Amino acid sequence: MSDVLRVDAREKVTGKARYGADRTPEGLLHAAFATATIARGRIVEVDTAESEALAGVVSVTTRFGEDELGPPSFVMGGGYGTQSLQPLRGDRIAHRGQPIALVLAENPVVANHAAELITATYEPEAHASHLDADQAETLLQREAIPIPFADDLTFGDAETDMAAAQTVVDATYEHPAQNATPLELLSAVVQWHEDRLLIHEGTQNAGALRNGLARQLNLDPQQIEVRSRYLGGAFGQRNAQHPYLAPLVLAARRAGRPVKLVLTRQQTFHQASFRPQTRHRITLGADATGRMTAAVHEIDQQTSRHDLFPGGYAKVTSRLYGIPSYRSRQRLVRNDIQTPGYVRAPFEQPGVWAFESAVDELAARVGADPVAFRLANDTSHDPVSGLPFSSRHLGECLRRGAQAFGWEQRPLAPGDWTDDEGNRIGWGVAVGAYPANVTPARARVRVEPDGTVLVETDGHEMGQGLTSAVTSLVTRELGIPAEQVRVRLGDTRVGAQPLTAGSWGTASTLPAVQAALEQLKAGESGAEAGNGLPTALADRAANGLVAAAGPVYGEFAAFSFIAHFVEVRLERVTGRIRVPRVLSVADCGRVANRVTAASQVRGGVVWGLGAALREHLVTDPRLGGFLNASLEEYPISVNADICAIDVDFVDRPDPLLNSSGVKGLGEVAMVGVAPAVTNAIWHATGQRLRKLPITIADLPAGGRRPPSGPSTGGSRPTG
Amino acid sequence: MQIKVTVNAEPTLMDVDPRESLLDVLRERLQLTGTKKGCDHGHCGACTVHLDGRRVLSCLTPAVQADDTTVATIEGIEGIEGPDGELHPLQEAFVRNDALQCGYCTPGQIMSALACVAEGNAGSDEDIREFMSGNLCRCGAYVGIVAAIRSYAAGQP
Ligand code: FES
Ligand code: FES
Repeated sequence: MSDVLRVDAREKVTGKARYGADRTPEGLLHAAFATATIARGRIVEVDTAESEALAGVVSVTTRFGEDELGPPSFVMGGGYGTQSLQPLRGDRIAHRGQPIALVLAENPVVANHAAELITATYEPEAHASHLDADQAETLLQREAIPIPFADDLTFGDAETDMAAAQTVVDATYEHPAQNATPLELLSAVVQWHEDRLLIHEGTQNAGALRNGLARQLNLDPQQIEVRSRYLGGAFGQRNAQHPYLAPLVLAARRAGRPVKLVLTRQQTFHQASFRPQTRHRITLGADATGRMTAAVHEIDQQTSRHDLFPGGYAKVTSRLYGIPSYRSRQRLVRNDIQTPGYVRAPFEQPGVWAFESAVDELAARVGADPVAFRLANDTSHDPVSGLPFSSRHLGECLRRGAQAFGWEQRPLAPGDWTDDEGNRIGWGVAVGAYPANVTPARARVRVEPDGTVLVETDGHEMGQGLTSAVTSLVTRELGIPAEQVRVRLGDTRVGAQPLTAGSWGTASTLPAVQAALEQLKAGESGAEAGNGLPTALADRAANGLVAAAGPVYGEFAAFSFIAHFVEVRLERVTGRIRVPRVLSVADCGRVANRVTAASQVRGGVVWGLGAALREHLVTDPRLGGFLNASLEEYPISVNADICAIDVDFVDRPDPLLNSSGVKGLGEVAMVGVAPAVTNAIWHATGQRLRKLPITIADLPAGGRRPPSGPSTGGSRPTG
Repeated sequence: MQIKVTVNAEPTLMDVDPRESLLDVLRERLQLTGTKKGCDHGHCGACTVHLDGRRVLSCLTPAVQADDTTVATIEGIEGIEGPDGELHPLQEAFVRNDALQCGYCTPGQIMSALACVAEGNAGSDEDIREFMSGNLCRCGAYVGIVAAIRSYAAGQP
């Protein structure tokens, strides 16, 4: 495939790309929310007097009628919303930070000021904010959500094989809650034109916004247009209709003016979905030859009191290797929080971190090199379904990566490697996988009078490079330069725009575009095609519902794979953990567009490093919510944290999944980075650390080398 | 109160609320939406503009403080989309090095990077990383950002 530079880069570097809130229509009003200061209970009274008296305030609304503002629906319960809780519709408070009043004002300063002046009295109730809280309620997921999707995975006989194993690792891992924190604040501009509604919002799911609003406000979906051309990052946080949207639309109708809302950063922490806290117990057994024979993965995951957010951790940990016996047990723990949700590699990041940490420990126990151990346990078949993988080049990822990283220089024993300056060195490896799902997509292609080829398609551009991948495909198929291709997406005027998530965007959109291009090449001047998924699925997608196929298809199972190699240095003087280099080799089928794909992997690695060493939401057990709800205190990686990240691709088309040969990439990129880091820290120190993030305080002697420790080696790796 | 400010070479006279930030004035009143809001609290750098040639966080700068100053935003950087539609060389370097994904942090990165180079703080990758650490990129485009700034700085006298 011919590769193109990011096609919308020019608009982005000039500031011309317009994101959701970059619109100021005539007569615009600005909205702001006042929010609850308790975690659970009932609102007794909201005092809005002071706020309403403020110059420039247009309206303050504390409650909408139940007939006016219909009930919300949860995206994982066959609906459209991030949660099934609709604020401003009743008196229940289900989490701290839940909106209790909506202000409209002439400018943002007044709106925010007015919101701050609003106070309320509550009847608070005892609440639970974390896995071990007293008031938390624990459910067995397979009983709470009795559908196959949420079921545990069991095959072989894990108990018997574990008992027969020669070597067993049994360890528990703590993964914190995390927030996606896309840099663009959650925001929307809503505007009525007579009985037509126009929404500008950066969303991954314009179709759900359209259909969700229609259902809640008793409108015809055709009355609603949603535009989401650019998103300032999403990572799962923009995957459904947010509870703020319907009230905003009603307020705009009452005011007869367009309304803009930009949530504060603190509010995005307290209102938007987040990666739930999890605990993983992993038990792994190996026989005398170093083959893994049995695995058990038990998970406890937070959910909200009002929704069941199903965990899917076992789907990937069961498929990393050819382990013949496996059993999972997933439990949900109800807390008084907003409903958690999908954050980049939602289950794979925590689950694979725990699993790959245990695998590394098992390799060390049997005295095997961690790369060799992983290669020895590779498989060509999906152990869950028994079907072959459509393609699986994980072995090649490992071999290529080891070679390029200079792995053979790595001493087998941990804790004994330092550089000339006395900094401890550790090298770690881990693998990752991610389901290759697909969703229905349609595409229209037309040649304009000036020779431009216009592609109108389903899909959202979140920065992953979908527009560039489509352009790349068109240039290759038609032999025209990128400048002659125009792509329109993320807009309900050009398609149903179902959810773009789960790394299925490119693998879903490209085959539709390709099919339309075939028609065009056959002589049509304009063509339209779908991507060939069954009609039942396509109908769901057309109505804004989640509609994904895979990863098990009739005759094969499809996953993307990756191997990461990480070097850590523990600075002698400061004890600081540095990661001077990372090397990642991905198997994502055919690389749809190398420039943007490589950036996606580097970005995924940055996320993995952040997850390993920095990011965690600190829950507030006293008041509920999070103590570090700002970009200052919720520590994402900064430029100075990141050094060399080298990326390589196997770049072999998947022969079965779709006509374009592509599998997903955006999430698998991140999976396995965190365990490669913790495995490297073990290699540097001899310590297995089982709670993320790892900070200086977790390291023996605060990361510094104990004064008595002999400094052996002093060799500096050159790979 | 009334302020007199030159924004991207245009002298502008306007009434501002003393509580209003320069960021909100640029975005909501002057429609210069290339400057982004990522936190409104000085934590992310997305709102970086130049005030009398220095980089400032416009969300923390009260608009009244811009009285009698010259403000430059991403829309006004020198050389931008010149007669032949060419980009400023730093913008060009961002494109060539794919120093972005979603692009939301990008205007702030570029404004910050121009200042970083002008300040003489782009002598090494390590310096660039350090002096660009006030500009968060959640997409994790840091490797490309450093490469872009390095290549632009190398072409500077
Ligand atoms: S918006 Fe100004 S620093 Fe974040
Ligand atoms: S490119 Fe998305 S935040 Fe930097």
